[in-house]
Amino acid sequence: MKNYKAIVKVKLKPEIKDIKAKALEQAVSHLIEVKNLNCRTGNIYILNFEAETKDCAEKIVKTIADEILANSVIEEYEIQWEE
Amino acid sequence: MGRIAVKAGIITFLGTNCEFDTKRACEFFGWKTELIKHSEKIEKQYDIIFLPGGFSYGDHISAGRIAKLTPAVQSLPVGKSLIVGICNGFQILTEAKLLSGALTFNDSLKFISKVVPLEFQRQIIHLPVAHHQGNYTGHGNEEVILRYCENVNGSDEMIAGIYDRKNKVIGMMPHPERAVFDELGLVDGRKVFEFFNEIL
Repeated sequence: MKNYKAIVKVKLKPEIKDIKAKALEQAVSHLIEVKNLNCRTGNIYILNFEAETKDCAEKIVKTIADEILANSVIEEYEIQWEE
Repeated sequence: MGRIAVKAGIITFLGTNCEFDTKRACEFFGWKTELIKHSEKIEKQYDIIFLPGGFSYGDHISAGRIAKLTPAVQSLPVGKSLIVGICNGFQILTEAKLLSGALTFNDSLKFISKVVPLEFQRQIIHLPVAHHQGNYTGHGNEEVILRYCENVNGSDEMIAGIYDRKNKVIGMMPHPERAVFDELGLVDGRKVFEFFNEIL
């Protein structure tokens, strides 16, 4: 068994309105002048676990991301690996 | 000979808070009603199964995301019993892909709790809504059975409730179970329960 660390970044798809990001843009305008600020929000999940192989580890993370961390109707995700 | 009483089941999750309102509303119509634990597979036969409102699993990750993995939801008799998700129940049904689309945060980013006018079967009715993630998007082919009369939360086409007639699955954000009893001042929810009874 080997230790794996996966970082899953989940964010709303570009075509889905990101209301929290709009609120952030408005708040920033009261704080500092920024030209053409465009924000998007999301969540980061850090998964530490053991698996036999990298293939197994990738399958595990993909299942977790597809079934729990992201809803493919409105969200997309990317996975970064730290070994 | 009298009609056999409708048999209703209500799934309770950790964080559900509308199970007793729903049970009392069902009993108002003479339905034989019992609660179903989230942790158990559904093996008994029911005419109608409710996924009631609340905050299952604290809305962690996203509303309804965790509840969809419970044995009760995984064993829902789709196509057999009428399945009705109200508020958090609607969120669970979309997360489980038993209904199309998804429910995101309200346009206002505020939790909304008020009585709103809705279009239901070519008439205007009034029902309470109480949600933070009721902004419906990504509608597929289901019939729209409830539509907001005003833009309450930013939902596409002001959709408040949908019905998959083929699989007998209904989802809605408004709470008809909170509008059944005279003492609460609103009784339009009775029309929605009568509709459920008609399509069993």
